[in-house]
Amino acid sequence: MTEDLRTSGPGAVEPDDRDPAARLAAHAQIARLADGLLPALVARLGTTGLGELEVREGSWRVRLRMPPGPRPPQPATARRGSRAGSGLPGGPARPGAGSAPAESGFIIGPDIGPGPAEASAATPFGGRPGADGRTSPRLVASAPAVGFYQPRAGLAPGSRVRAGERLGVVDVLGVPQDVLAPEAGILGAALVEPGEPVEYGQEIVVIEPLPAAGPSAGAGDSSPAGGVAPALPEGTR
Amino acid sequence: MISRLLIANRGEIAVRILRACRTMGIEAVVAYSEADRESLAAQLADEAICIGPADARRSYLSPSAVISAAVVAGCDAIHPGYGFLSEDAGFAEAVAAHGLVFVGPPAEVLERFHNKAATRRLLAAQGLPTIPGSDGVLADDAQAHDEAERIGYPLLVKPAGGGGGKGMRLCRTPRELEAALPVCRSEARAAFGDDSLYLERWLEDNRHVEVQVVVDRFGSAVHLGERDCSVQRRHQKIIEEAPTPALPDAGRRDLCERAVRAIVAAGYENVGTLEFLVDDDGRFYFIEINNRIQVEHPLTEALTGLDMVEIQLRIASGEPLGFGQDDVRFAGHAIELRLAAEDAADDFRPATGQVEHLHVPGGPGVRFDSHLYPGYEVPPYYDSLVGKLIAWAPDRAGAIARARAAVDELHVDGLVTNRSFLRALLDHPAFVRGEVTTNLVDRVGASAFLAAARRG
Repeated sequence: MTEDLRTSGPGAVEPDDRDPAARLAAHAQIARLADGLLPALVARLGTTGLGELEVREGSWRVRLRMPPGPRPPQPATARRGSRAGSGLPGGPARPGAGSAPAESGFIIGPDIGPGPAEASAATPFGGRPGADGRTSPRLVASAPAVGFYQPRAGLAPGSRVRAGERLGVVDVLGVPQDVLAPEAGILGAALVEPGEPVEYGQEIVVIEPLPAAGPSAGAGDSSPAGGVAPALPEGTR
Repeated sequence: MISRLLIANRGEIAVRILRACRTMGIEAVVAYSEADRESLAAQLADEAICIGPADARRSYLSPSAVISAAVVAGCDAIHPGYGFLSEDAGFAEAVAAHGLVFVGPPAEVLERFHNKAATRRLLAAQGLPTIPGSDGVLADDAQAHDEAERIGYPLLVKPAGGGGGKGMRLCRTPRELEAALPVCRSEARAAFGDDSLYLERWLEDNRHVEVQVVVDRFGSAVHLGERDCSVQRRHQKIIEEAPTPALPDAGRRDLCERAVRAIVAAGYENVGTLEFLVDDDGRFYFIEINNRIQVEHPLTEALTGLDMVEIQLRIASGEPLGFGQDDVRFAGHAIELRLAAEDAADDFRPATGQVEHLHVPGGPGVRFDSHLYPGYEVPPYYDSLVGKLIAWAPDRAGAIARARAAVDELHVDGLVTNRSFLRALLDHPAFVRGEVTTNLVDRVGASAFLAAARRG
């Protein structure tokens, strides 16, 4: 009788004695944050070179923090799978060791007062790019689900894209799910061929920064939420 | 036969299924959530594929994510493990619709046994005694009170759509029932997406005994004996053993034979477990069926020498069972301890942490099924089960002695576990005498067990 695994989301980090309805509502909110906000935030964190970024929405708080140093390489044993026998072109499932969500820690939690971000909030948006010796993080659009990737017709490397613009789709059992640009920029190298299988979070296409606007267009914005808002996917349905 | 299997689960059961694949020459693909990127199963797999974020509803509980992963990775079958999608008839149907084998009962069988109240009626019609309960699910609170008067207190409010102790409350008075109904409804809705409830008479000093059955596609069936899961805390199993000390040999045989006859007549397929309550006088009452592999399946493996996951995979592939009841031999006694990342001293609060050092016990008859390894970080999102320690010996006293020695030897540094609580339970006189009832731990209080162990 005990096999049913807990299905609670990140909100359950703290044992939770709120009533289940409130918990469900909170989970829905987290899921929405994770869908809409996190990719944009991660991208923003990458381009600004900031150590940490925090956004509030309603009673929830999202805080992203870059790791203190370069991340150690992923264990080579993981995902070593050869594709032999699968009959599929190339391998899917290289969850980009450098994919943004894996590279930066993120915390979602109820807004229960000042967190460490505020304690050390003397450095908001005064980022020192590469100060800690990291190679400059690149901006990528990643797969929203596991399935087969198809780029949007008419887009080619060099195309200018808006934040939240649809760059292609991942076909999930016949249902297309949009691959969105996390930021405005110039379409760079494709990391996945058309028709190739991808896993959740896999890097699909590089977004180069816009030449005129500079690498951190929103860096001067003093409001985190305001700075992030334009990056929210427009096509979220 | 299946050639490439997608394992759509996590933790120890993903590792267990992977091991069955290895011995059977099946390629194993592990579907994992972002929180399980570094999991043991993902590292041991022939291929690992990320299917979604930590939130299980968007990964392990998402039929489209799981099936799409199987298609993308070129698998021909999906094993759902336990929990998550394992008893979801809609999922099983979708898997089949994509030309894949669902390792478990076919969708129509899951559908037939999905509703617990309906299952009870179905098996009562096949001659199994059932516990008095409401006639089907409760339409509203008024009907709940009417039915409660008819059945009599104390009684259990139970969710029709799932198990695991969620959405379940013991009520001794109408007032308690009134308070429990809305809570159970919302818990059941959150856990199973289905808030239908039913009532069941509560036997005060009952034992929980379950029968393992195996039925192939052609109607050949055997039982693989029973397991006793009476050591529970708040309806969660902690220690299981086989055979049950609650019944004499003749009673055990009668229970198992009647269970397998009824389930075959009801049209079951693949492995399943029929749960019974056994009262003081050795009378048994059917309560529900679990249509999947169980956490405690290693007990059955210890007694019979069979590989339960292999049997599941073979039956799902359409192979005949290949052996009869007379071929099944039971030997010795086995005890399973559920090691959980929980702080027994703090009301069993789930704990997270990184395993710094791990020492796994060994010796004759000792088995440890776990996904722990040094450096592994237990994520906060899922069930707290981190390992199962199984001790077998020719007799019960020997099994207890080996279980005690094994728990003493087990060391997990960096992670709070319920190890000392398990050790205390093994020393409790009621357990040693084989007289534990399902209410014992809650009645005595977990802290009393721990205190007694410290004094001892």
